[in-house]
Amino acid sequence: MKSDGKYYRSYIEFPQPELCSKLLDSFAESASNFTVCSIKYARPIRLCEKCVDHYAQFHAIYENLTDTVVNGTSCLALFISQDRLNAIQEFHDNLMTIWDKGNCNDCFDWTADGPEIKNSTLEFNKMFSNTMNCITSNMNPFSNNTKEICNKCMGFYIRLDDYYKSLSKDSIGVDSICMDIVDSMNTTRSIWSKNLHCCDIRKTPELIFLTCTVIVAILPLLFYITVRYCRPIRDLPNVLKESRFKQSILRSVQGRIN
Amino acid sequence: MNNSNSSLAEGNSETTCDTAQLISNDEASTSNYGQLNNHENYQDTEENDLHGSHGVRRRQPIQKIEPGSMNILSAKYESLDYDTCENHLLLDEERKRGYPFIVWKDMARWFIIMLIGMVTALIAFIIDICIEQFSDIKYMELKKFVDKYVLMDKLYIPYLLWVLSNVCIVFIGSVLVAYVEPVAAGSGIPQVKCYLNGVKVPRVVRIKTLLVKTVGVITAVVGGLAGGKEGPMIHSGAVVAAGISQGKSTTLNRDFKIFQYFREDHEKRDFVSAGAAAGVSAAFGAPIGGVLFSLEEGTSFWNQALTWRTFFGTVVSTFTLNVALSAYHGHPGELSYPGLLNLGKMEPFPFQFYELPVFILFGGIGGFLGALWNYINYKLAVFRIRYITAPYLRVIEACLVAAASATCGFLMMFLLNDCRPLGEDPTKVPLQLFCADGEYNAMAAIWFQTPEASVRSFLHDPIGSYQPGSMLAFVACYFLLSTWTFGLAVSSGLFIPNLLTGAAWGRLLAIAMQAMLPSYTINPAKYALIGAAAQLGGVVRMTISLTVIIIETTGQISNALPIIITLVVAKWTGDFFNEGIYDIHIQLAAVPLLPWEPPPLTHNIYASEVMSHPVFTLRTVENVGHIVELLKVVTYNGFPVVDPPLADDAEVTTYKRLRGLILRSQLIVLLQNKLYNENANTTWSNFNVKMNMFRREYPRYTSIDKLEISDWEKTCTIDLRPYMNPSPYTLPHRASLPRLFRLFRALGLRHLPIVNDVNEVVGMVTRKDIARYRVWRHRGHMGMEELLLSSEI
Repeated sequence: MKSDGKYYRSYIEFPQPELCSKLLDSFAESASNFTVCSIKYARPIRLCEKCVDHYAQFHAIYENLTDTVVNGTSCLALFISQDRLNAIQEFHDNLMTIWDKGNCNDCFDWTADGPEIKNSTLEFNKMFSNTMNCITSNMNPFSNNTKEICNKCMGFYIRLDDYYKSLSKDSIGVDSICMDIVDSMNTTRSIWSKNLHCCDIRKTPELIFLTCTVIVAILPLLFYITVRYCRPIRDLPNVLKESRFKQSILRSVQGRIN
Repeated sequence: MNNSNSSLAEGNSETTCDTAQLISNDEASTSNYGQLNNHENYQDTEENDLHGSHGVRRRQPIQKIEPGSMNILSAKYESLDYDTCENHLLLDEERKRGYPFIVWKDMARWFIIMLIGMVTALIAFIIDICIEQFSDIKYMELKKFVDKYVLMDKLYIPYLLWVLSNVCIVFIGSVLVAYVEPVAAGSGIPQVKCYLNGVKVPRVVRIKTLLVKTVGVITAVVGGLAGGKEGPMIHSGAVVAAGISQGKSTTLNRDFKIFQYFREDHEKRDFVSAGAAAGVSAAFGAPIGGVLFSLEEGTSFWNQALTWRTFFGTVVSTFTLNVALSAYHGHPGELSYPGLLNLGKMEPFPFQFYELPVFILFGGIGGFLGALWNYINYKLAVFRIRYITAPYLRVIEACLVAAASATCGFLMMFLLNDCRPLGEDPTKVPLQLFCADGEYNAMAAIWFQTPEASVRSFLHDPIGSYQPGSMLAFVACYFLLSTWTFGLAVSSGLFIPNLLTGAAWGRLLAIAMQAMLPSYTINPAKYALIGAAAQLGGVVRMTISLTVIIIETTGQISNALPIIITLVVAKWTGDFFNEGIYDIHIQLAAVPLLPWEPPPLTHNIYASEVMSHPVFTLRTVENVGHIVELLKVVTYNGFPVVDPPLADDAEVTTYKRLRGLILRSQLIVLLQNKLYNENANTTWSNFNVKMNMFRREYPRYTSIDKLEISDWEKTCTIDLRPYMNPSPYTLPHRASLPRLFRLFRALGLRHLPIVNDVNEVVGMVTRKDIARYRVWRHRGHMGMEELLLSSEI
């Protein structure tokens, strides 16, 4: 036991520059705050909106680590790529991956003072809460008739949907819109079509369409039958008479007999 | 002079000589060349014909044949000359040029191969970009209409728009194919295969064909037909090779005066095989597969140097395409687009020994389905040959199929409500149709994209992505559509549709296996890939090259064994029922293709039975009038040059001693330039008689009817000896068919004079004489039959 203690003490005897150690401590704290926040707001996703301050701090300290130079080496260089574990870098990257995967930056305008929520995000949030309010206030827990809700909230819903589609170029927005918004929209859509069955009006008989397909499908058959029985009578190709040794000998023999 | 006079006098006297005479009436009519056919006097030899010439099974000696028969050879196809003509001019040229020229020519070969690779890749690039852009526009617009009208119960509007757009686009392509260049129809692989085998398929390697092909492919794929752009790439590569290596274009009427020394069939065919390989390489990103494709499907004459050059060409081709496509997609220098078809990165799939029977089963299913595909396509092809011959009918048919494809797709989207949540996988055009908000119709996603993208979806999507019911409907639908599409008057290939069908049923079987064995995790990608390989192998019956192509497109060498097992089983199963689709189409086109091996059990068939008997010969110093007459009356392309006979005995059958062989093309050039003995001193000095005189005209020589020969010239004479090939390959009349076949096939000959013991010409063997012995295999039986010839197909 004693020798173990000595061993560890001897390790401590090589201190890092003080400035860097302090920075590292604050980095650890910001990372833990950010992590706690991300997990808390993972479902339903409010991660971007709620954790943006933690993220900003986390990011800033990391930058600070890079920029602070002591004795010609940056602090970061003292901590990363020194060993196989490379824990600091790994934690940083993981946290960044989650943030980037969610396209969280897209929710905010990045000014010099820090993140500010975009107007479009605010607008969306307003419409979203309008729609949800409409649905919840009209919900009647005792009846299954959802027609009423559909009719009443249709306007809100459609405005929300259109606004969402306008946010991204391909109108799916998976890779460009911030995840908070995508998730809100997905939830709304799911409630709207799966729970309330408001989309069933899409199913219509489409009789004219079916008639058209039948006509188009019959056309090739008609074509083939017509071609089969109404073609001009052609002369069939002749088989060539081949000229072989045997035949010509026979012929010349016959010629001589005749 | 003396000589020429006497030969003139002999002209009419030799009527009973066994060398065919132009003026004689009876014997000449038995030649197998169209113009000589006299249909009156057949009765005398009918009983002979019942058994063919030597007891080989033969059909009834019918005089008329129904078109669309597989047992006919067309007499219209000519062969290519692979043999070099070692005449005096060549000797002169060799003497003058010496070794520096050989070095120069070798370097030029490499340079041309590099150009071929690059140009082929650029054409592939253009096709790819056009298809992608136009498809995007088309499907985006259609999606807007569907989204708009689905809520109004007016789905027929987007449907009719889809039909209309398909029909219009396909109309452009099929008009081009049907009216401008019919040989550009289909994938072009059968035609290239024939060309590499040594058959001159008319117009197959012209610039016009290339243009029609390029536009045709784009319209076919954008028009929503069940066709791919990979097969046509092979044809395009072949045309590019033929064009560049010749340094001139007859279509454009331009002669760049370069590469004149490559203007002969021998060199051109080598380049074409490299070009076809470059096409494969650009299509699939498979350089080694391309080389093997050329080797397996094509060239009969193959050597180490050519392999190496071809490989260089394929690598250049895939590299160029990679650079171009990567730059286009915004990652210049990243090189992640090696081919048009990109199956996406496959993980190496581990397989256990107990899975091998499963692969065999997949191969069996693929072989059976492939044979069925071929059978349906064969029946359709026969129907098309018999009834849909007029160009306007072919255009209408193509348009109807385009409309039917759209109908099929739309009905499937409409009836199968297979919904998936948005955003889980990259879908370019997610169509909601009747799905809930935030979901899209899985069938619509497959139909609203190009077939390659669909193949990728089937290979890579997770196992629960598609419902089994919709997969089954899709397999049935696409199977029939693709077999219906192949053979239309549009340029599209069959690789992608078959890969798609196969991937779909492979995935379907994977789903079934998963349902039966819930405790295992089945990798759908593995079985989808195996299914795709099996289906394609069952249709085209390629083995080595297809294996390598699939390995290279998926980038996994460790998948080789499962793929090989599957393909071999698929080929065997398919061969049990019928032949590969390319061979079926070649046989329907009545092309005299020579297989790899001579027919077995034919050592008892001798050259004297195989050869065409009365031979049209020319004397070493021949009268111009006689040559002109001969060229006009027969369609022969090679004439043995013989000594004048010693005796003029009219009663005794005489053969004449072989001195050499001269080609029709050479005779025409001689006549054009009036190289007569009589004006040797006056005209000849004005220009040098050189090899280039012959090369200038290549490959399209003037027809004899277009030459103007005045009367005084007909009495002149030509000395053929400096121009003829003085030592053609010959065989004695007792040589067996396999021996004949091997010589012919291995050396790529066009004419093979048959001589007797004293080197006198008794007959002539050409490709058609040999190709008429064909081996058939069906349901485990095999045999040989003798095919009939016709000059009217």
